[in-house]
Amino acid sequence: MLEASGMMVFYENMLALNNISMNCESDQIVGVFGANSAGKSTLMYALSGIILDIKKKELMAGGERITVAGDVLFDGKALTGVKPSKRAKMGIVLCPERRRIFKESTVLENLKIGGYLASPAKARDTLEFVFSVFPVLDKLKKRIGGFLSGGEQQMLAIGRALMAQPKILLLDEPLLGLSPLMQAMLIRSTRDIRDQKKISIIITEQYARPVLPIVDYAYVLENGSAVLEGTRNDLMDNPDVRAAYFGI
Amino acid sequence: MEILIYGTINSVALALYALGFAMVYGVSRLPNFAHGALYVLSGFITWTVLNTLGLNYFLSILVSFAATAIIGALIYQFVLIRIRGMEISEIIASYAIALAILEGMRWAGFKGMNYTLPVFIEGSTTIAGVTVDVHRLIVVAAGTALFGLLWVFTRYTRIGLALRGMAQDERAALMLGIDSDVMAVVAMGMGSLMAAMAAALLLPLGNIVVESGYNVLILAIAVCIVGGIGSWGGAVLAAFIIGFAQILTVVFIGPHFQQVVALFAIIITLILKPSGLFGQQKELEERV
Repeated sequence: MLEASGMMVFYENMLALNNISMNCESDQIVGVFGANSAGKSTLMYALSGIILDIKKKELMAGGERITVAGDVLFDGKALTGVKPSKRAKMGIVLCPERRRIFKESTVLENLKIGGYLASPAKARDTLEFVFSVFPVLDKLKKRIGGFLSGGEQQMLAIGRALMAQPKILLLDEPLLGLSPLMQAMLIRSTRDIRDQKKISIIITEQYARPVLPIVDYAYVLENGSAVLEGTRNDLMDNPDVRAAYFGI
Repeated sequence: MEILIYGTINSVALALYALGFAMVYGVSRLPNFAHGALYVLSGFITWTVLNTLGLNYFLSILVSFAATAIIGALIYQFVLIRIRGMEISEIIASYAIALAILEGMRWAGFKGMNYTLPVFIEGSTTIAGVTVDVHRLIVVAAGTALFGLLWVFTRYTRIGLALRGMAQDERAALMLGIDSDVMAVVAMGMGSLMAAMAAALLLPLGNIVVESGYNVLILAIAVCIVGGIGSWGGAVLAAFIIGFAQILTVVFIGPHFQQVVALFAIIITLILKPSGLFGQQKELEERV
């Protein structure tokens, strides 16, 4: 469904992504694991096209020179140079790191803004779906986004991304800074979303253990390179991986 | 009583001046220094259509609305979009556009005191012993209605919500498929439309003169700075504070100090609370 090959991203002369090739099939959950600065977020930005926006802004402000190379194919269509808003319309929706919810708007407004691309009927259906997956949001509908707890904000961010009718949802570090209980809940919800909505999900995380049970396939990034990849069981059985990423 | 009524009228007028400016800045972080120029331009468009083409007054106003909104959007699409995000360049470029429009109109012969627009309804009425022109009451009513409409627009319509999302976090909005370039053009078109609406309501109260373009800009900036730049609610509140302060000054000190009040308000705000009453410019506050 989403296929990247030879992805390279440079920030000035710093290589942030080194020849990454990855693949996500329909209805799959694909994990991307790696430490800080391994290139997870850059990969997400490259897939969703946000990197093009960052590049444009940097260029205008005379900041860092960003170079992007490689091909991304989505449903067989090449995405090179396609604007991020267009990619979102095609169905690649990013739920960004640190959630970035609209802090001055209410929960309901956040979700409605997320439904910008959806038809009114679709938006209503999805809103119901989001409330069924995250019942807490239904109760907090009128609350201002900035007053939510971290876990609630993360649910809101995922719900908002769902409102944009993704075919493939990119979750960038959804578990960051959350309690183990909340992490487990979010992971369960992620799987439910995949099962019920029939969408593909790419999920990145520093720490693989909480996420690994639900992924079908995973990649391990280190300094911008994919050092390992395999199915869940392949990675589970690999002693290096267990030591380095799972803390087992 | 006089103070209350004329203070309210003056405050609504100030809020009308500032609304478009606040909206454009709030959504796309563009300090649109051409705002006052668009205000005067729309007045002259109405005047020209009314007097040379001989269209009906109401239609002329609609023509000026459409023309001003399109001109604003075009200015953004063809000039300002290239320097997006560089505030100093945006100020210089939009101010240059303002100069070009205003001085261009002066050069084209729009000067002197002979350009006036008729008021909507002639006559005056008495409220609680104070004589008020009917048109001024229309200004208050229409202004309030406009704020109400804008409030509904930004909360319940798809485009309005998208604009608010973009105002809060442009990149997060982009991830949801909200194209920031398109939205910024829409915002600029709407901001210009609001300048035109303010002009249609307020210009009949006086002459259309090129200089008022600069005054409107100064007042709009004063209101936005006091209210906290980018905050619409703050802008309305600030309009009332400055509006009443101006009327009080006129009554108790002297009419010629009226213009000073707005500038004085800017200075006081920048000294006491640089981010304004409801500003989100925390970094500015920290820096100062």
